[in-house]
Amino acid sequence: MPNRHVINETIAAYANAAIDGAYAAGGKEAVVEVRNQMLEILGFMSTNIDLRLACDDEGYTPEERESIVRGVFGSYNELLVNLLVVMASRCDINMLRRVYAKYEELTETKLNFNIVDVTTVVELDDNLRTVITEKAESDLGRDCLLVEHIDPSIQGGIIMETRGRYVDASVRSQLDRARLVLKEKTDGGEC
Amino acid sequence: MNATVSKFVRNCTSGVVAFAAASAVCPMSAFAEESGAGIEAILPQMEEFIPMLVAFIILWIVLAKFGWPKFEGMLEKRENTIKNNLEKAEEARQESERLLAEYQEQLEHAKAQAQTMLNNAQKSGEALEKEITDRARTEADAMIEKAKVAIEAEKRAAIKELQDSMADTSIAVASRLIGEDFSDEEHRKLIERYVKEAGNLNA
Repeated sequence: MPNRHVINETIAAYANAAIDGAYAAGGKEAVVEVRNQMLEILGFMSTNIDLRLACDDEGYTPEERESIVRGVFGSYNELLVNLLVVMASRCDINMLRRVYAKYEELTETKLNFNIVDVTTVVELDDNLRTVITEKAESDLGRDCLLVEHIDPSIQGGIIMETRGRYVDASVRSQLDRARLVLKEKTDGGEC
Repeated sequence: MNATVSKFVRNCTSGVVAFAAASAVCPMSAFAEESGAGIEAILPQMEEFIPMLVAFIILWIVLAKFGWPKFEGMLEKRENTIKNNLEKAEEARQESERLLAEYQEQLEHAKAQAQTMLNNAQKSGEALEKEITDRARTEADAMIEKAKVAIEAEKRAAIKELQDSMADTSIAVASRLIGEDFSDEEHRKLIERYVKEAGNLNA
């Protein structure tokens, strides 16, 4: 079992390869696309243990593992698929989540921009995109690219998130806070 | 003195017995000449009196020599027996008096002890009664206090439940109103306002 420095170096190598390849291929948009697809793959693997185990199973040959990865994720960005193939051939798929975290870190430290996930109930118009981007860039002090998500369950408002930093200005959270205040309020009663 | 009297009585008795025996042995009629008159009618005839006297004396000597010692032995034995019995009776009486006194003492002691026990029992009973009463009162107070606490807790829980229910209902109504009544444009305006009011993303 390699020590943690070797593992960290391996993860950094994967992340650098991915971000450099993506940036070279399509600039920031490609970086964002790879990042989003990596996130999707992580979500998929977290709900499919058999697939995750199979990709790291030394009982299969490297070619068989490559075939599995290409068969499942073949429609994704080619750069990302190639990265996954290499990782699978070396039984390193279990490092993908840490590779993703490193990838996000590199977008900030290496490419000097942030990918901001924005969740709303309705689609953003250009005006809102501008307002939100300006707000994010003002807060973070660097360029920002928005990744938009539509989620009716937030009931309104907006949620912004980048690398674990979070602003929840959704109606759902406002209502939850109001509910909490109402439930904890004791004025006007005997208790 | 008693011995002298006893001997005198013994001799007289022997004489009487000897006389009676002599009369029986010599059944000659002493008053054969009853037909005589005057004082002679009661005086014995000498020819009868002397043999009778001789017989009497002989008999007296014989009885005094042989009969009396046995009789005296019997009397002595009887006397000793009676004396012993009297002594025993006296001892028994003294013993019974002693026992009686002892029993009385024991009885008094027992009475005193019983009285003490009775007093103690009475005191214990009173103490026990007080203890039971106090304990019952304490338990009753505790139960009442517990019931009050439980009632208060139930009341608080009911009020909290009602409050929560009202809050949930209010929020549900608000959610529904926002979800149904807000147009896309209104949502966008809300987003813009929230973005401007939101805290720092880098905080």
